[in-house]
Amino acid sequence: MGQGQSGIGDRKNKGKKNEKPKPKYEPPVHTRSLRKKKKGPDSAQKLPSVYPATRCRLKLLKLERIKDHLLLEEEFVQNQERLRPTEDKIADERQKVDEMRGSPMTVGTLEELVDDDHAIVSTSTGPEYYVSIRSFVDKDPLEPGCTVLLHQKSVSVVGTLQDDADPMVSVMKIDKAPTESYSDIGGLEQQIQEIKEAVELPLTHPELYEEMGIKPPKGVILYGAPGTGKTLLAKAVANQTSASFLRIVGSELIQKYLGDGPRLCRQIFQIAGENAPSIVFIDEIDAIGSKRYESTSGGEREIQRTMLELLNQLDGFDDRGDVKVIMATNKMESLDPALIRPGRIDRKILFENPDSVTKRKILSIHTSKMSLAEDVDLDEIVTSKDDLSGADIKAICTEAGLLALRERRMKVTAQDFSSAKERVMKNKIEENLEGLYL
Amino acid sequence: METRWSVRLSQMTTTNETTTKPVVPKDSKDATKKTKKTKNEVEELSEEDQKLKEELELLVDILGESNEKLYPDALERLKNAIRTSTSSMTAVPKPLKFLRPHYDRIMSIYDKWPKGANKVNLAAILSVLGMAVDGANDTLKYRLLAGRDDDFGQWGHEYMRHLALEIGEEFHSRIDENKNTKDLLDLSLEIVPFFLKHNAEADACDLLLEVENIDKIVEYVDENTFARVGRYLVSCAPLLSPPDDEVCLSTAYNIYLQNNKLPDALALAIRLDDERMVRAVFDATDDQLVRKQLGLLVGRQRQWFSSEDSEIQEVVSNTKLNEYFSYLAKELNLEEPKHPQDIYKSYLENSLLGAASTPDPMKQNLASVFVNGFVNCAYGKDEIIETDPENKSRIYHTKNAGMTCSVASLGLLHMWDVVEGLGVLDNYLYSPEECIKAGALLGVGVVSAGVHDETDPALALLGEYLENQSNPLRTSAIIGLGLAYAGSPRAELSDLLLPLVVDSDLSMEISSLAALSLGLIFVGTANGDITTSIMQALLERSSAELSDKWARFMVLGLGLLYVGKADEIEEIIETIKVIEHPIALMLEVLVTICSYCGSGNVLQIQKLLRECSTRPYEDEDEDDEDEDEEVDIAPHEAGIAPGAPAIGSDESESGAEDANDTEMQDASEANESVNTEIETETSSGDKHFNKAEDRQEAANVKAFCVLGVALIAMGEEIGSEMVMRHFGHLMHYGDAPIRRAVPLAMGLVSASNPEMKVYETLSRYSHDADLEVASNAVFAMGLVGSGTNNARIAQLLRQLAVYYSRDPDSLFMVRIAQGLLHLGKGTLTLNPLNNERLNLSRVALGGLLTVAVALLTPKSFILSQSPQMLYFMTLAIQPRMLVTVDENLEPIKVNVRVGQAVDVVGQVGNRKTITGWVTHTTPVLLAIGERAELEDDEYLPLTSTLEGIVILKKNPDFEAN
Repeated sequence: MGQGQSGIGDRKNKGKKNEKPKPKYEPPVHTRSLRKKKKGPDSAQKLPSVYPATRCRLKLLKLERIKDHLLLEEEFVQNQERLRPTEDKIADERQKVDEMRGSPMTVGTLEELVDDDHAIVSTSTGPEYYVSIRSFVDKDPLEPGCTVLLHQKSVSVVGTLQDDADPMVSVMKIDKAPTESYSDIGGLEQQIQEIKEAVELPLTHPELYEEMGIKPPKGVILYGAPGTGKTLLAKAVANQTSASFLRIVGSELIQKYLGDGPRLCRQIFQIAGENAPSIVFIDEIDAIGSKRYESTSGGEREIQRTMLELLNQLDGFDDRGDVKVIMATNKMESLDPALIRPGRIDRKILFENPDSVTKRKILSIHTSKMSLAEDVDLDEIVTSKDDLSGADIKAICTEAGLLALRERRMKVTAQDFSSAKERVMKNKIEENLEGLYL
Repeated sequence: METRWSVRLSQMTTTNETTTKPVVPKDSKDATKKTKKTKNEVEELSEEDQKLKEELELLVDILGESNEKLYPDALERLKNAIRTSTSSMTAVPKPLKFLRPHYDRIMSIYDKWPKGANKVNLAAILSVLGMAVDGANDTLKYRLLAGRDDDFGQWGHEYMRHLALEIGEEFHSRIDENKNTKDLLDLSLEIVPFFLKHNAEADACDLLLEVENIDKIVEYVDENTFARVGRYLVSCAPLLSPPDDEVCLSTAYNIYLQNNKLPDALALAIRLDDERMVRAVFDATDDQLVRKQLGLLVGRQRQWFSSEDSEIQEVVSNTKLNEYFSYLAKELNLEEPKHPQDIYKSYLENSLLGAASTPDPMKQNLASVFVNGFVNCAYGKDEIIETDPENKSRIYHTKNAGMTCSVASLGLLHMWDVVEGLGVLDNYLYSPEECIKAGALLGVGVVSAGVHDETDPALALLGEYLENQSNPLRTSAIIGLGLAYAGSPRAELSDLLLPLVVDSDLSMEISSLAALSLGLIFVGTANGDITTSIMQALLERSSAELSDKWARFMVLGLGLLYVGKADEIEEIIETIKVIEHPIALMLEVLVTICSYCGSGNVLQIQKLLRECSTRPYEDEDEDDEDEDEEVDIAPHEAGIAPGAPAIGSDESESGAEDANDTEMQDASEANESVNTEIETETSSGDKHFNKAEDRQEAANVKAFCVLGVALIAMGEEIGSEMVMRHFGHLMHYGDAPIRRAVPLAMGLVSASNPEMKVYETLSRYSHDADLEVASNAVFAMGLVGSGTNNARIAQLLRQLAVYYSRDPDSLFMVRIAQGLLHLGKGTLTLNPLNNERLNLSRVALGGLLTVAVALLTPKSFILSQSPQMLYFMTLAIQPRMLVTVDENLEPIKVNVRVGQAVDVVGQVGNRKTITGWVTHTTPVLLAIGERAELEDDEYLPLTSTLEGIVILKKNPDFEAN
């Protein structure tokens, strides 16, 4: 201990107090409590939490007070740094540490902490070593199972590799927002409003809920027939929000090895927590979220365990905080009731096939970028009696465009649309018939 | 305020955007089909919406026509349409949206209309429409035009809030332009009842705070809202800037007084430090029982309060405190005395050195005596001093001052029990040995700390020794008086002690201690006579005497007089500047920090931090220019200039900063040749005092600044959390004196409040290379854990005991810390805040501060000749108990729930005020941050905060099952 305060004053004092009798033995002070600290040193730096969360002057005053103190802190540190700059010294020290670490370093796994200065490590080559931990290593992140850097010759621990999240998870975080926005959605006003209330507003205006004295919903599930715009809406949410957006497909959570699926699930939510506020979108949740039943197959059981992990992440012991979950499925009835109980998924948003007005809107959105012939009357293409989904309408537009292409025309005519519609409707009927035989 | 409103404003605008976005297709997308666009847009609306829109347009058209008969009906229909519309929280109500395009038209219609009822109604509608229009404060403008006759609450909550927002903005711009704000105020006062009626007490308070008329709220609160309004105001108060905070508190006081919540009102009166208000609370009731409860609250404060009623006087004087404490001890089965060894638990120290002989056994014996005193404090029984068969032997195991302390520890054992305690000490008063006699005198003071006896035994016993020629007897008597009468400003005491302060023939020790005792006795009274006397003494003393280590206590005495009197220090600060000794700096800092203690004033903290960040040798350049003594104060004043701009002010001093920058670098280069420079400067003759000393003094002043940061932040939650961060930086960058003060400051802020964050940091400091820093950190660990029996701190201290087993001084400190940790076997507390952390007990604070000041240089007092300074701690000792008593003040047992306190200020609904509770039977112990409530309604408590001694009354309406 004591490395936390290697200030200059410290060193100066050491110089002065050389003649003082120093105690010979320094017994280790056990600094680490057995329970793992979640955020390590951050907890000491944490700012006080501010209550009430409602919009009121008291909250403002409290936040301002915190800001004042932070300003004071900044001023003090700046003054001190100006009086005696420490950057050079820090750079010097860093260089020294680098020298001591040597290069290259071996990567190993920490198997066991023996005491504050010794540990058992293993490397990928096989044998396990009992090695010392160098004094300059920050001991807080050290814990059994973590990845450590080992000195090439002495194999002593010289550093830790911090980032232990699976790279697979970081792939799921989307950096580039999808191009679809709310304006690309025809109709669905009701659904947009619901998803906004449940997902976006809690992240942007938590005080609205606080004022009302309710807890905002944790997540929503979007369900409905195929092609009704569930994924599209999720994309629009991702486009609109400034929160970090994680998207996964249910089937991604099914992994080859036992325990990998649940672990991935945990890591997703861990990353979401670290990047809070964030939105997790799980598409096709029925891949892992189907009802539990007695199963002998190991694979089935593993999938069920993955779902159990998901259940725990959604409404488990730890508070998730600013993480909202959106799920999408078209088989609502096959989902496990535990998954969609209130508290985990508070809002169930139904997507129905569009009514005639909505169909018109969808069609106008899809055709707005097409070059249409004069004779095309959008009202005729979709009539109220057709049972079309949003995807069907898009298919009609694409089909009509393809037909026009086939004839090397630059414009899509009404004729194209009507034959395209016929084709699409025919396919649709065939699908339905197939269903009859099952 | 601005931020809050702007949040709302931005929310309004975003909702506007987001709702229009999905509904109205973007122009760009439809660019190709411009011809169809208009048609398209119309079709976007559902049939209902279309109908509504047409109707509204029709109504607007009617208003535009000249047929006046149709107006009232059209207005009524418009009104209805707007009022009955419902919307989701993300959307602007539809009628508002549809009417927005016509807003300008309606405005011009309004201008054309003649005066009359119709015009007023139209103004009201325009005012509502104004909400959806960005920019101008139209809502307020038309509201004012519409007059306030109609029931404008009918327009809904959002409208009222918007109105409040615009009032706030308008008020400020009018204040800036010095315009009349009467109409705004009147309007506000109409809005307030609406807010209060609709569960928006916070909004009501905010609005009135904004228009600077918060005191008006008293008229509007009723029995349903007063509690919430009061709580809100009380929590706002510490965060507001000076004139506002007192207004806030006195408003809350009036609210409580009006609603007959006398204990709450009393707490605020004490906080406001207004004796007139305190008496008003007492006069507000005829119920003797309630008065007794109030008396108990005042007594807890340890502040002098005289009442004609002897019964009240009795409770105020805490005469029964010992009785209740023994009752607590009996009920909790703690009567068995504990031996220091039970505390050390040496068998748990896995010492590698085995049972090595302890260095300096005398010192360790002294430590044992202190530990024994602290642990068995107020129990009246122990194992080593009294019940030891060779009774006195333990006392003779120590020497000199140690002996004094040993005897005085008998006082600790019998604390608050004046009769018994004096009986025990009486034997020692006639001892031939001077040290023992001195100890007995000190003990008399300790016994009667915090309790007042009508017969004044302490004064009678100690008074005669004030003129005694023996130094130990005299100092002990002075300290004893200070302890016994702290917080009870009585003229006879100042008559006794003042001559000792002024007499410049006496040693600095005696005069300083006399000044300190006077400071404690007259704490927070800003007594003019004493101030002048101490100032006079400081002026008369030679500069060598002022550099004496004891001089700081004289300064502290003066500072204590001004505890909490921030508005009365200007004059004294001016006077201080006359003193031509560096002690003036110390004086200025101490007086300032004492006066602002517990205020959380950020500006003062900023000042202190700047003071800390100046270099000690900074003033060299100026000195070289051979300026006269006024420069001596310059480092302090200059310290304010070079730093970054003050909070809120913009960056304008960068030029000055640069200049200072170079200057400081020069200074740091000069550092190495300090010694030579000192010589040159001392030889430069005409200076009144030595430069080296000056610097030393300046460095010491910084230590006081650090303590000051703690004192000021104390009692304001956010501040006391945030200063921990400052302390981290001070420790990192500071010089030795600052580093020594930091652990003490941390201890002061969280006395008896063992937060892991704090004691883990202290435990890190306890291994510091500077042994004085380390020993202060150890002491601070004891202070932080005092009276909690915290197992983790106990373990850390045991490890430290092994670590320092070779160093007698540090080991002594570890032992003291262990003793403090188990103060009163875990039933007492040192925290000066009570009554739900609302009231800061000045006496307790004075005691803690005195010890902290003594420990700034531990080697010169507590670790060497004057360990008795530790006894100033007794002023802060209070039981952390909840004892319930019946109408005859006899203890009764009831079930209470004890749990973690929850901050319910400004929260919606009726939340539980405690969480994670456990049901106990009184008497119980309450830790910091815990709150108690009665389990059932069988009894009614006379005070709302269950702390200390609470009188219960039978509930007449109670029916068992």
